[in-house]
Amino acid sequence: MASYTKAAQQWATFARAWYLLDAKMQPPGKIAAATVIRLEGRHKPIYHALSDCGDHVVIINTRHIAFSGNKWEQKVYSSHTGYPGGFKQVTATQLHLKDPTAIVKLAVYRMLPKNLQRRTMMQRLHLFPEDVIPEDIEKNLLQEIPQPRAVPRRLDEYTPEEIAAFPRVWTPFLP
Amino acid sequence: MAAPSLLRGGLRRLFAGLWGRGWASPPARALREGESGTGGTIEGKIIEDAAAPTPPNPSGQCPICRWNLKHKYDYVDVLLLSQFIRSDGGMLPRRTTGLCLEEHKKIAVCVQMAHRAGLLPNHRPRLPEGHTPKKPKLNRYLTRWSVRSAKPIWKRGPKWCKVPMPVGHPLLKDNVKYTHKFLNFNH
Repeated sequence: MASYTKAAQQWATFARAWYLLDAKMQPPGKIAAATVIRLEGRHKPIYHALSDCGDHVVIINTRHIAFSGNKWEQKVYSSHTGYPGGFKQVTATQLHLKDPTAIVKLAVYRMLPKNLQRRTMMQRLHLFPEDVIPEDIEKNLLQEIPQPRAVPRRLDEYTPEEIAAFPRVWTPFLP
Repeated sequence: MAAPSLLRGGLRRLFAGLWGRGWASPPARALREGESGTGGTIEGKIIEDAAAPTPPNPSGQCPICRWNLKHKYDYVDVLLLSQFIRSDGGMLPRRTTGLCLEEHKKIAVCVQMAHRAGLLPNHRPRLPEGHTPKKPKLNRYLTRWSVRSAKPIWKRGPKWCKVPMPVGHPLLKDNVKYTHKFLNFNH
């Protein structure tokens, strides 16, 4: 702010930024909450609902999202084609296997405010099932959003020194 | 029968190593054969176990109380949970580990959740033939019910009486929380 020209300051304030979010082992609800904040522009002090200040968000690894609880089996996504007898219900597992980005897309769509801006904000959301991104999007990325959930370490990811340093909590009773 | 002769053979090996040394400490559970310099003689050596570190609260009844871990572990603490499971993933009996009933149940629940989250990849049940198990395609965590038993909730109901989807386990509701967020067991 000290030595920038007015034009540069204006650009830095109002330019649309591109954020990256890795959804590996993350719950889709928390991913959606983090993206909706960026898509609306609520992370900026210049936010106003009508001033179209949202940013782009690129979500990668949507194939590897993790649901808590038994939601893979219990959560049901329903839709109706409009024709009689067209009520379709699929479980989260079936939907994910058919389209790996659908769960995150629906989560973000349903979390956005239900106004006319929602469709433009969804156009600024980019979902990729793996971490392969087209080059032109990759060149635009500015910053990575931190992951909402701390991924736990598996037992084989601990080094043998750490396993040995952990004390044996019980010893077998030898008569 | 085979059993008494095996026992006698094992005891003879033990005593062969001890000859002239005295009975210093109770023998270790496993029998290890020492290497002999001249070929022919088999000598059994008593290997003393490393002394276990003293717990902070030696007057506790179960190992969890003795180490002051009463409400402090979760499905993530695999280093602790792996001490109470067999190599094929099942829990060890209470009379072996010395846990009290409520802690044994809590550890069992945490071990189940850790298995379903894929945090214990090497503690799988042994399969009879060369049948490779299929890798789970979906990641999950804090699963209360088994994957095969959960049924889809076709009708969740209106907003004021939705059918909940359970997450975590109520046995762990007394765990220490370092945030002010309310622990939700139903999503």
